[in-house]
Amino acid sequence: MPGVTRKYVVPGELIVDGKYRLGANVYANQDKVYSTRVGLAEISRGEVRVIPLSGVYIPRVDDFVIGKITDYSAFAWEVDIASCFLAFLPAQSVFGRDYSPAQDSMLDRFKVGDLIAAKIAAFDRTRDPLVSVSGPGLGLINKGEIVKIMSTKVPRLIGKKGSMIKTVEAGTGCRLSIGQNGLIVVMGPPEGIAKALETIRLIEQEAHTADLTQKVEALLAESGGA
Amino acid sequence: MAIGKKPIVVEQIRKTRMAEFLSKGRRLSGRGLLDYRPIKIETGLIEKASGSAKVSIGNTQVIAGVKVEMGTPFPDTPDQGLLIVNTEVLPISSRNAEPGPPSEDAIELARVVDRGIRESKMIDLKKLCLLPGKKVLAVFIDVSVLDIDGNLFDTISYACTAALATAKIRKYDVANEEVKATEEMVPLPIRTTPISVTMARIEDVLIVDPDLEEEALMDARLTLASDHDDNICAGQKGCPGGFTVEQIMQARDTALVKGKENRDLLKREIGLA
Amino acid sequence: MTTLINEQGLRVDGRRFDQLRPFKLEVGVLRNADGSAYIEMGKNKIMAAVYGPKEVHPKHQTLPDRCLLRCRYHMSPFSVDTRKNPAPSRREIEISKILREALEPALILGDYPRTAIDVYLEVLQSDGGSRCAGLTAAALALADAGINMRDLVVACAAGKLGGQIVLDLSDVEDKEGDADLPVAIMPNLNQVTLLQLDGMMTGEEFKTAFEMALQGCKTLYDAQKATLISKYFGKAEPPQQEVQEGPEE
Repeated sequence: MPGVTRKYVVPGELIVDGKYRLGANVYANQDKVYSTRVGLAEISRGEVRVIPLSGVYIPRVDDFVIGKITDYSAFAWEVDIASCFLAFLPAQSVFGRDYSPAQDSMLDRFKVGDLIAAKIAAFDRTRDPLVSVSGPGLGLINKGEIVKIMSTKVPRLIGKKGSMIKTVEAGTGCRLSIGQNGLIVVMGPPEGIAKALETIRLIEQEAHTADLTQKVEALLAESGGA
Repeated sequence: MAIGKKPIVVEQIRKTRMAEFLSKGRRLSGRGLLDYRPIKIETGLIEKASGSAKVSIGNTQVIAGVKVEMGTPFPDTPDQGLLIVNTEVLPISSRNAEPGPPSEDAIELARVVDRGIRESKMIDLKKLCLLPGKKVLAVFIDVSVLDIDGNLFDTISYACTAALATAKIRKYDVANEEVKATEEMVPLPIRTTPISVTMARIEDVLIVDPDLEEEALMDARLTLASDHDDNICAGQKGCPGGFTVEQIMQARDTALVKGKENRDLLKREIGLA
Repeated sequence: MTTLINEQGLRVDGRRFDQLRPFKLEVGVLRNADGSAYIEMGKNKIMAAVYGPKEVHPKHQTLPDRCLLRCRYHMSPFSVDTRKNPAPSRREIEISKILREALEPALILGDYPRTAIDVYLEVLQSDGGSRCAGLTAAALALADAGINMRDLVVACAAGKLGGQIVLDLSDVEDKEGDADLPVAIMPNLNQVTLLQLDGMMTGEEFKTAFEMALQGCKTLYDAQKATLISKYFGKAEPPQQEVQEGPEE
C-alpha cells in the first residue's frame, strides 16, 4: 500500500515528528509522536498508531467474548473474561425481570467452570463489566476445546472480513468461536481440533509477519489436515 | 493444591475431555500416565552459594541455594550438625501467590521437602560436628520458587538434592579445642540421593507429575521419596480424597521405578554418574 | 584496604574507569507472569515479574481513577555471602519504595482505573548496583506485560574510588569506595526518576559522576530496546504490506 510507513517500536520510542492524528497506543509531546507499547507502528493517511503485541484485554461494549463462570451469588454470576476486570452476569438478565432467588435456581443455568459465549453489555471507567447471554449464538458452551491467545492478536486470527477464520475452518473441518478477549473455542472432530490448535499457535506467533496467510495455508496443507 | 488464596477453576469442557482421555490411558498434554515432563537441571549458577541448582519440570521452575555457617548443636544431638530447609513460594511464581505469611499449602510443601532430605539421611550430620556440644556446621538450604505449573514437591526435592550433592564447603581443622578454617574446599558428607515421586489420583487413574490443571482436578495426591537402596524414606498423602490399599501399593512400585529413573537422570545431569 | 585502581588505571576486575560490567538481558522468561525479564550485571542475577493490570486485593486499596502500582524488591537467602533472613529487611523496603517511585512516572496509570500492577524483583545473586539492574529489568517486564508506558526506565550508578570517578560500581568497589550515585532516567523524556547518593563528592565530581551515569544508562537503554525487538520480532524486517486485517476499533 503506498504512503504507509511501518516500524517496530518499544514504549517511549519516537515514531514520527510532526502533526498527525493520534491513533491507538501512541501519545504526543510537543509535535513528537511516541509509542506506549511494544508493537508495529503504522503511519498512514495522516494518522499514527501502534498495533501492540502484548497486553491485557480491556472490555468494550458489544464485544463478543468467551467467559468462564468462577463463582456466583444470589444475584449474579462472576465471569472470568481474561481481563483486568472480573465481569458479572446478572441473574435478572438470564431469568427475566421477575427473577427471585427464592424460586429460581442459578445452578440450573450455569455452574462454576461453565464456559459461556457472551456480549459485553455495559462497561466504563467507573464500574465492572456486565455481560449478557441473550442473543443468537450466545449462552452455554458445552463442547469443544478452549485455547487462549493474546487478545491483541485476535484481529489477525479473524482476518479481513473473517478471511483467516474461513481458511482455518475449511482446512480443519472445525468451527471456531473467537472471543475478542483472546479465548477461543474450537469444535469439531479430534484430529481437526489438534490441527486447528496448531494453526492458532502459528498465527499467534507470527501475527506481526506479512506472509501469514501463505504460512497458514502451508501448515493446513500438510498431512493431518481434515 | 492451591498455593494461594483462590482455588483454580478448570473449565467444565476441559474436565470432560480430561476424564475421556484418562479413561483411555492418555493425558490432555499427550503424556503417558507415568511420564514426567522434561526435567532440566543446572547447577553452580549462584557463585556466592556453596552449592546451587535451578531445576525445572515442564514449566515449573525453582532455584535452591546452600549456605554453610558455624552454629551450636541442639542439646539432644550434641554431636550432629544442623540442617535447615526453607522454601519460599515467591510472589513472582504465580498470580495466586502474594507476599506475606506462607499459606498452609506452602508450609506443608516446605515440611515435606525437609523430611525427604532429613529422613533419607542424605547428609551425614555427624561429620558436620566440629566440637561436640559446642561447634557444628549448620547447612541451610533455601529454595526460591520462580514459576508454578504443578508438582512443586518433586521440582523442589530435585533442586535440593542437586544443590547439596554439588556443594563445596571449606574444610575445617580441629586441634586442641580450636577450629581452624583451611583453604581446602570439600564436598558435603553425602550418603545417598533421595528422590521424591509425586502421584495424583483423578477418578480411578493414577498419574505421575501432575501439572497445574491436573492438580486442580485431582482427588488425592501422594508423594513418596526413596533413597538409592530403594528404601522409602518420606511420604505425604494430600487432598480430601483417598486411595485404595491396592492404589497405595501401585504407587509404591511407581515411586521406586520412576524414582530410580529420575535419580539416574539427576546424577547424569550433575556429573555424579 | 584493597587497591581499587592500579597504576595502569584499571580496576579490580580489570575494567577502565568508564566501563560497564558485562551484562545480559532477557525478556519473557516466566510463564505465569504477565511480563517478565532477567538481568545479569556483573554478578547480579535478578528476575523481574509483573502481574497486572489485575483486580485489586485487598479491595479497599482500589483507586477510582487510576491503577495502583506496587513494587517488591526481595533478596533470596542465598544471594549474598552470609545467608540473609528471608523476611524483608528495612533496606529492601526502602529500595522497594524508591523503585516504585522511579517506575511510576513512566506508566500511564490513568488508563487502568480500579486495577493494580505488581512489580516483583527477586535478587537471586547480589552484586553492587542491584537496585539499578533490578530497575532496568523491571522496565522490560512492564513493556513485556503490554502496559501503556510513556517511556522505558533505565538505571546505572557512577561512583568515586580514591578520587577517581568511575562507572557502575561492583560489590567491593561499593563497600570500599568513597561514594555511590545510582541514577535512573526515562531516556526519551529526559527525566531523572531515581537518584541517590551515598558518600562525599565535590560539586564538580558530582557533575562528572552524574554525566557518566547517564552515559551508562544510554548503553543499557540500547540493549533494552534490542532485547525487546529481538524477542517480539526476531530478525524480521517490518512488513511493507498491510498487517492488521481484522475489524478495527
